[in-house]
Amino acid sequence: MKQNKWSALKVISRIVLLIVFVFLLFPLFWMLLTSFKTNMEAFRYPPTFIVEEATLQNYVNLFTVNNDFFVYYFNNFKVSGLTTLTTLVVSIMAAYVLSRYKFKWNAALIVLITASQMFPLVSRLISLYSTLTHYNLIDSHFGLILAMTASQAPFTTMLMTGFFDGIPRDIEEAAYVDGAGRFKSFFSIALPLTKSGILAGGIFTFLQAWDDYLHAVTLIQTDSFRTLSAGIALRYLGELSYDWTLINTISIIGTIPMLLLFFFFNKYMIKGIVAGAVKG
Amino acid sequence: MNKILRNKRTGDAIFSGLFLLPIILLVGLFIVMPIIQSVIMSFQDYGARNLISGKPGTWNNFENYKSLFRSGLIANSIGITLRFVAIVVFFEFFIGIILALILNSKIKGARFLRSLMMMPWVVPTIVSALIWMWIFQPQYGVFKALVEFLSGGAVDNFAMLNNPQTALWGIILAALWKLTPLMTLLLLAGLSNISEDLLEAATIDGANKFKLFWKIILPSLKPVIKVSVLMAIIENFKQFPLFWTMTGGGPDGATETLAVLSYREAFVSFNHGSGAAVTTIWLLIMIVIVILFNMAFRED
Repeated sequence: MKQNKWSALKVISRIVLLIVFVFLLFPLFWMLLTSFKTNMEAFRYPPTFIVEEATLQNYVNLFTVNNDFFVYYFNNFKVSGLTTLTTLVVSIMAAYVLSRYKFKWNAALIVLITASQMFPLVSRLISLYSTLTHYNLIDSHFGLILAMTASQAPFTTMLMTGFFDGIPRDIEEAAYVDGAGRFKSFFSIALPLTKSGILAGGIFTFLQAWDDYLHAVTLIQTDSFRTLSAGIALRYLGELSYDWTLINTISIIGTIPMLLLFFFFNKYMIKGIVAGAVKG
Repeated sequence: MNKILRNKRTGDAIFSGLFLLPIILLVGLFIVMPIIQSVIMSFQDYGARNLISGKPGTWNNFENYKSLFRSGLIANSIGITLRFVAIVVFFEFFIGIILALILNSKIKGARFLRSLMMMPWVVPTIVSALIWMWIFQPQYGVFKALVEFLSGGAVDNFAMLNNPQTALWGIILAALWKLTPLMTLLLLAGLSNISEDLLEAATIDGANKFKLFWKIILPSLKPVIKVSVLMAIIENFKQFPLFWTMTGGGPDGATETLAVLSYREAFVSFNHGSGAAVTTIWLLIMIVIVILFNMAFRED
């Protein structure tokens, strides 16, 4: 009797698992499939589930005809990369101090940093738009990177604080007794010990920056400065008809770097997200 | 000795100040100041003219707020936003906890499944929007075919995003697809922290699966649930790219959330004052919800 109840639960759980995974993976499969279809076949109803005339033409077209796309792609690498770099520098410095030195103002700063993640971005962009216009920083990658760094730094700082909290202070205290200065203990003791944490924070920040749409779409006006999401939305999404095979091909190419990053650094990323969100 | 200590303290303060300076500047200049400015702007007549000439806005006696309420736009948006957030967060949690329990049950290939599960989460949001738009495409979409098949051919013109009745659900599906993996991952991390001994002891005492879940698993997960649900609430409140790409707030305002309304007011109509009024209301609602949430989850 008990045996039976057990297996019923097991069967139900496998069915649920199957349904959820079909929901999660089918859209990705569908995107990949469409990118290998000819336009003729993609616009057939009912849709075909096995590609009849598999073609690489969409990819070839992307490289030859629609290669403006790669301007956005390159910009996205540049902006996301630099944003990640500046975010890491700012966040690591702040996190180290927040973790190691206890001052009254720390608590206030932590509240501010936590609260700042809650504010709607549109709200900030409305006034950032006029402020950046005023200082001639609108429509430039420099201004964009600054704004994005400010958006990313709070979360990354909280994440890195967790990692610094996780390494014992004894070594730094011993070094201090031996006459090592604060900068030396930071650079040669604390930093090397948090290498995996820095990697996790960096990958997470890059992923978020790569996904940016709202910053770029409001702060950048010149087409050749646009980043990936804004570029796709403004160039390839027409009012009336979409070139769906092209869009699915672009989607694949735009997602691949993230998937590679995820599968190579899976362990660090998962550790990073979990540590950042579920501390203690 | 005292003097040395005081010197160390001063040195610490200088070092801290130096290292905290960049983040204070960034958060101050790019987050705190803009928020204050946009609250001020919400009481002003501020539009494209001011932007070009650099002239400050002028006080307009709550006109931005009045006209938003008069036209009913804000009430509509508040309703849609709250509905969207409530539905997405509920299903995110519901699917997330079930999936996490299954993946935590020593199932074969759990690690591999966990990686596979995370794939939608790394897909850029705009790409997620495009994938689902293609699925929901009104003439050739695979979802239309699915509905036709399931209804035995009775419904052969189902267009999810073009119908005011269903458009929001289309975006809800896309949001669930993108965000449920993270929720599951966090809950899974929480589950793996529950001690085996506790579960075993309860099982020996005769607790069945459901009792185990309600009496032990759920209470031990409380801190994780609190963080992950709060993250989900904030994330969905801020959702913009899915709406803007998939429906642009339409059809007929059926998916016009606060994010879409504020963006349209500020950056399409170039009425920054009105857009700022929307985000100020939005901010207030969010603060109230976060406070209520924290009260509900307060440690007893």
